[in-house]
Amino acid sequence: MNVFESIADSLERGRAKEVSAKVTEALDNGVSPEQILNEGLVVGMNVIGEQFKNNEVFVPEVLVAARAMNAGLKILKPYLQKEGVEPVGKAVICTVKGDMHDIGKNLVKMMIEGQGIECIDLGVDVDPQRIVDAVKESGAKLVCLSALLTTTMYGQKDVIDALKAAGIRDQVKVMVGGAPVTQAFADEIGADCYTLDAASAAKAARAYFD
Amino acid sequence: MTNRERAMNILHYKSVDRFPAVHFGYWRELLAEWAALGKIPVELSKGWSDGNPVDKELDKLIGWDFDWTPRYSPRNGLFPAFEEKVLEVLPDGTKRTLNADGLIQRFSPGVVSIPAEDDYLLKDREAFETLYKPKMQFTPERINYEYLKDFNTEVYDKLDYPVGLGVGSAIGTIRSMESVVGMSYLLYDEDEDLFGDIIDTFAELQYQCTKAVLETGAHFDFAHYWEDICFNSGPLLNPKIIEKYCRKHYERRNELLHSYGIDIISLDCDGVTRDLQELWVDTGVNVLFPIEVGTWGDQFGPARRKYGKRQLGVGGFNKLALREDKAAVDKELERIRPLAMEGGYLPCPDHRLMPGTKFELVQYYAEEIKKLKI
Repeated sequence: MNVFESIADSLERGRAKEVSAKVTEALDNGVSPEQILNEGLVVGMNVIGEQFKNNEVFVPEVLVAARAMNAGLKILKPYLQKEGVEPVGKAVICTVKGDMHDIGKNLVKMMIEGQGIECIDLGVDVDPQRIVDAVKESGAKLVCLSALLTTTMYGQKDVIDALKAAGIRDQVKVMVGGAPVTQAFADEIGADCYTLDAASAAKAARAYFD
Repeated sequence: MTNRERAMNILHYKSVDRFPAVHFGYWRELLAEWAALGKIPVELSKGWSDGNPVDKELDKLIGWDFDWTPRYSPRNGLFPAFEEKVLEVLPDGTKRTLNADGLIQRFSPGVVSIPAEDDYLLKDREAFETLYKPKMQFTPERINYEYLKDFNTEVYDKLDYPVGLGVGSAIGTIRSMESVVGMSYLLYDEDEDLFGDIIDTFAELQYQCTKAVLETGAHFDFAHYWEDICFNSGPLLNPKIIEKYCRKHYERRNELLHSYGIDIISLDCDGVTRDLQELWVDTGVNVLFPIEVGTWGDQFGPARRKYGKRQLGVGGFNKLALREDKAAVDKELERIRPLAMEGGYLPCPDHRLMPGTKFELVQYYAEEIKKLKI
């Protein structure tokens, strides 16, 4: 098992401390931080994402793997910045107005970050105007909107309307998700993308930036 | 026939003069909406809960026969519960609160949705042993012996709904104490033995509560679990973990229920439940509820085909049709009719009715479902 496989393996098993130690050791041995990210952490997260999609692992395994990913990223970040490694892209992510439930949003965020995309997390119960402002300020090209309930899912349409009203709808892709959301609903409200699970969302997000 | 007889006959594959109109309640926003539209009196838009007097009044207005809900549950959770309190008020008015289960949640002003889960107390063995375990012990004050005196055949003969006993959960309440995130970290950060100990301790409490209620001689038509351990892709936890830790507890509690003649055992679980159905039906949990078709894509038909007559169901009518028109309701009724005609299945909207649901369509559904008979 080489160093990258070893990091990926620890990440897949959700061993945050192991990941931190292995990333540190790799950096000390002069391994490129970009390689550690792409061939170690991202590879491991992709494996977990695929297994999650196929019902081979479940929410707990994704959460602990994502936590391990973040532990590795925390160590890598200064090195990546020093070498001028830019994120693949930027995404604004939140739950819509009226919706406080953020497990799904957090899972998608972790998975998207696992693809090397920087997430600007606005949190929960977010007003459409705040999302518009965040897109303008950050230059994000992707907006990810989560809704848990049938009572809040129409808040996703409000955001799309706000982006239109601000004249920036064409500058961003809008991805919607959450328990009650379907492809038909996404089409109805004019979203660009709907995926059933967090792993597919991350894949679709990456595709927008490739 | 009474509605109680109708429900029990259907769930025992016997004939009925007509189907009862069964429901699973409302999102409160819908009741406010109906009140604003003048469909219901304003006083009925407040204070609703399953089976309470407001619920009964709404049943009369709409044409429902009853809500599928247990009529008695002992205090089978944490007792005494944690004292609910506001821990912090953030500058935007958001409140961080400690709830009765020891979960720390965030509530934004004016938002009525499920709150965000911020933190939890049940993090390790020390927290379990000192904070939780003492609250998971059986004591007689958990049972309302006085109230249970009315749960007898003589009283029941006058009732027009089936009487359910809440028997708790095997894992859902543990999730409520820790949040999904907390339960996940507990499984991985601590040894699995702690996870098992929590489930075993809580299950023992629930068993003792159920036993104490049944020993009073109170009679129940069905027993009812609550789990809510699934989401749109299936179980929140690996089903093998649930099987490993919960099977024995379902078996034991259900054997107890069977010994008291209770053979209808329903389980309320949202989401896509198919990966847990085998565990449930094998251990005697035989009624799926509410079978969320519209929101999560669950279905009763495949479960019935897989497990045959052992598999009963309450729910499975796509509530989204009640936001559309009569044609959509008719289409959905036609879809479920063959399953209803097999017996062992009580149609019911597949969860709380949501805002945008049309009052007249709900009345129409209630009228139409009563036209079915077997």
